[in-house]
Amino acid sequence: MGTESSNQLWRSMWAICWKDIKLYYAKGPIVVTGVLFPLFLWGAFYIGRGLDPKDGLASLVTLTIFFTSSSVTPIIAPWETRQRTLEMLLSRPVKVTTILIGDILASTIFGLVFTLPIVFYSIVLGVVLSNVLMATVIIMVTVIGFSALGVLFSALPTDTPADVVLLSSVVKLPLIFVSGVLVPLAQLPTWTLAIAAASPLTYPTDLLRQLYTGNAFFPEWVDIMMVIIFTIMFTVGALKLHEKTLSTRLQKR
Amino acid sequence: MTSFSPRIRVGKRKENRPMSTIAIEAVNLHKRFGNVSAVNGVSFNVTEGEIFGFLGPNGAGKTTTIRILTGILRPDSGEAKIMGYDVHKDPVKARMLIGVVPEEANPYPDLSAWDNLTLVGSLYGLSKRTASERASRLLKLLDLYEVRERKARSLSKGMRQKLLVAMALIGEPKVLFLDEPTSGLDVLSAKKIRSLILDLKKNGVTVLLTTHNVEEAGELCDRIAIINGGQIVETGSPDDLMIKSGLYTYISVKFDRPINPEDAGQFFKAWEHRVQGSRILLICKESADPIVRVVEYAKARCLSIIDIHTSPPNMEDVFVKIIGG
Repeated sequence: MGTESSNQLWRSMWAICWKDIKLYYAKGPIVVTGVLFPLFLWGAFYIGRGLDPKDGLASLVTLTIFFTSSSVTPIIAPWETRQRTLEMLLSRPVKVTTILIGDILASTIFGLVFTLPIVFYSIVLGVVLSNVLMATVIIMVTVIGFSALGVLFSALPTDTPADVVLLSSVVKLPLIFVSGVLVPLAQLPTWTLAIAAASPLTYPTDLLRQLYTGNAFFPEWVDIMMVIIFTIMFTVGALKLHEKTLSTRLQKR
Repeated sequence: MTSFSPRIRVGKRKENRPMSTIAIEAVNLHKRFGNVSAVNGVSFNVTEGEIFGFLGPNGAGKTTTIRILTGILRPDSGEAKIMGYDVHKDPVKARMLIGVVPEEANPYPDLSAWDNLTLVGSLYGLSKRTASERASRLLKLLDLYEVRERKARSLSKGMRQKLLVAMALIGEPKVLFLDEPTSGLDVLSAKKIRSLILDLKKNGVTVLLTTHNVEEAGELCDRIAIINGGQIVETGSPDDLMIKSGLYTYISVKFDRPINPEDAGQFFKAWEHRVQGSRILLICKESADPIVRVVEYAKARCLSIIDIHTSPPNMEDVFVKIIGG
């Protein structure tokens, strides 16, 4: 395969990232969807049930990561196919992989911008994480993983963003209820545990709950390993699948 | 017509690229989409500094061929090279040498003209300063500098098309692919882009041009390939194609006095002709020999030629004839 110099590679990735931030992330409705939706969902479960909000910080952080970092990436490829800007981009000296990593990078920045303040604010309020470094690393890896998950959804070779939004909603929304985000895994019915074990949302929630409250369902090393495995799986899957569906996508216009 | 040549710069990168006077090389390209064979054994070469026209009816395989040549689509079989670089084995190196105006592509509508240009500059690995310098120069060249802060969505179609051309030129390409660059443009904008293409040629840029405007291709191109049903059916200079098409040129000559129809018939028996008073009409497949014979005829009979008029077939007729319309 052709090579890009590392300098050019970084310039290209940042250029794509900058373009995404300017075009997609710096928009009011995106901020509302990415921030208010997880906040209200979390508030309804924790405050509504009279639970101590501190106990649900792990859930709030995970929900925020999930909704911010996987909210925009699914629509970029279909939207740009429809707008006829994708081909303009693809005809430049960049690989599809570079473009997608630029998309993941922008989504990661967006996710971190809204997630890290919650962590810092909780520290200010006196809710101490048992391992701040591990929490930061796991949050970063999770943000990258869910950004890649969004890119994976967008590999669907369509020029209609609604098709991808539908697909991602069908997958994402049920995951919230079976991954121990709103109700801890120990309190879920036994039959849901097999589904929870296959959910990428389960492990960061479990690990963050461990770091916030000391209670966890899985051993720490299992959570860490699974977060890394899911992130690699989503990233590699997204890059491979896009390469495979590109030809069909271009026929859409 | 404004001349832009002093201000157009083309790639002067010193690099270890393969030595080649062939700028674009397509070798037996095949591409199928499901049961449809979009490109079926397309081969051609374009030499450096040439303007090569790629004509064909809708769905003939032009855009698919360009997508293969620019590395966007991978062919099922065959090779595509730019300046010696295989576009699928060395996509980035090959694309560093090219600029592309894809068919019906758009700049980002919510980015300004300036941001669109500098974004593409970054994709070519240009520093911010270099990208800004080139963006300023190109926007001025294409009369877009005054609207540089306007979002692309608010620009007219002509301005957007010129912006796409500027985006194709910011990497200072050695090879330029223009897929329908003047489609839907007003006369002035189309003329400006045609003039720019000719100036680029003067600067050594190789241009592959597809257009539905057959006359435009005849005017601009050194050579033309006509593609139909995914296969190249004819290649040659516009003049070659006129001859190959087998269409007739009409030569009308008026002498200073009436001529003898039987004598003229004998003299011009190699061609179909009509004589009427002092005028003769010759119908032939090329014009050089008949004109020489007309001059010989006039000299031998002490006739003066008052008027001579040739009507070669137009490129549109040639195109229709070649694709079998």
